[in-house]
Amino acid sequence: MIASLGARAVQDVIEAGRLGRFAWRAATTSARCCLVRETLPLVRNQMNFIGVRSVPVIMITGAFVGMTLAVQAYDQLAGMGLEEHLGVLINLAVVKELGPVLAAVMLAGRVGGALTAELGTMNVTEQIDAVRSMGTDPIRYLVAPRLLACLLLTPILIMYADLMGVIGGAMVSFLQLGINSSAYWKFSAAGVELWDVSIGVAKGFFFGGAIATISCYKGFNCRQGAHGVGQACTEAFVASFISILALNFALAAISKSIYLTFWPLKSLV
Amino acid sequence: MKRQTDQNERADAGAASGVHIEVRNLTKKFGRKLVLDNISLSIEKGKTTVIIGPSGCGKTVLIKHFIVLQRPSTGEVYFDGRRIDRLSERELSRVRMHFGYLFQEGALFDSMSVAENIMFPIKQHFKDVTWRQVEDVVKAKLAMVGLDGFQNYYPANLSGGQRKRVALARAIALNPEVILYDEPTTGLDPIRSDIINELVLKLEKDLNVTSIVVTHDMKSAYKVGDRIVMLHNGKIIADGDADHIRHHPHPTVQQFINGRVGEDDLAVLRMSGAVATSQFLPRDFQQ
Repeated sequence: MIASLGARAVQDVIEAGRLGRFAWRAATTSARCCLVRETLPLVRNQMNFIGVRSVPVIMITGAFVGMTLAVQAYDQLAGMGLEEHLGVLINLAVVKELGPVLAAVMLAGRVGGALTAELGTMNVTEQIDAVRSMGTDPIRYLVAPRLLACLLLTPILIMYADLMGVIGGAMVSFLQLGINSSAYWKFSAAGVELWDVSIGVAKGFFFGGAIATISCYKGFNCRQGAHGVGQACTEAFVASFISILALNFALAAISKSIYLTFWPLKSLV
Repeated sequence: MKRQTDQNERADAGAASGVHIEVRNLTKKFGRKLVLDNISLSIEKGKTTVIIGPSGCGKTVLIKHFIVLQRPSTGEVYFDGRRIDRLSERELSRVRMHFGYLFQEGALFDSMSVAENIMFPIKQHFKDVTWRQVEDVVKAKLAMVGLDGFQNYYPANLSGGQRKRVALARAIALNPEVILYDEPTTGLDPIRSDIINELVLKLEKDLNVTSIVVTHDMKSAYKVGDRIVMLHNGKIIADGDADHIRHHPHPTVQQFINGRVGEDDLAVLRMSGAVATSQFLPRDFQQ
């Protein structure tokens, strides 16, 4: 029992080391490639798949998050006579936490799964070995464009999710719950700062990096056969999901520390 | 410094002796499984070496070491006298341009057309070539494998034999010095197998390449091979020309080249057959 736990722990540490090495190679290769003209068409193709085709599903996710928050939070606030403050609660929750996290989870499912399946199939059919055998670095050709596209587009997709969350929350508040719109926007503007929006969007950069790196790693290292590819997709989603939650916690703590450090200086500006 | 000098001496010796690829004391393990066991082998320039052996004996793993798609657990790999198994992936990229690799299932990029597949290595390594030049190379390579006119097809629309020929056209796109064929005739009918054999011979003659063919098709091995090496349980058990192999005294070699099942395997089959018959008669499933 103890021996098997120990062996499992050692295996997990080795796996984490491999992922770390892969992430480092992917990051350094992407940094070198992002200024090379030949990489741009590859990145553009991935941007179309990762970004453009994800817009509808991300917007729907954002809208429902805002709408649900409005329905759920109204009763608590109305009980205290604070229903006009509903906008602050909805918009703050959407732009800081729920919009970025749920948009990233949706991307992990839609994009991460597809990346793992595509690269995993290439791996089991020896297409990745074929890339290597022709003297091309598969990290440069296959991973860097996907990583760059995710890094660039996840923050933008989060903006779409935020926008639709704000609109969805406002629509339910005005049309279903009958809240005064000018009061709703006045309190929202007072309660939600540019910092809140910025930190939510900035999270997208980290979430996108985590989704692309984990998904590509799982695809590159999946086992043989259809079962191996399927399992790699599942593992990629689970690992991406946990990474998003862990990164969200870490970024929330860091951003709060930064805010509290610089907040007293705001009055001087 | 001394090590560098040793390597330079080996490089000179290798180049002078006409040895193109060499592995020394190569051992490969996957976990605890020993796949290649202390193999030493030299491949001569301009010759066709065929590696035969039963399925799962490590033939593919061995040729993947020649191009360092697999790294040895222990041992050394040399190309033109230069040790390559310790090079970084970036350094290996330049070495691999000297190789063409025909994968067992072709490994064509299924999202690309036939033309795009063949263009891939050219566009990766030669940035200044014009579109017209690339198209001409694609046409010439496809003509060499008898598939000119298939430029706009996708791999999914090709037969198994056509896919292998397109993969071969892609493998020779950079005019390699060495072509590695991983089971080029597996899964093909006898006529298409012979077309592939003829192509191997034609490329050897036209391009003067060093060819290494992994196969368990003896007809193909005798036809294309200047030298035949047999692997069994991760070791080389026979090495020589076709006549040497035909008359080799080792019983495993004779059993393999004549396609005969061994007494041990037959005993297992008889036993499992007896167990199956005794356990699963149709009447056992009747109510």
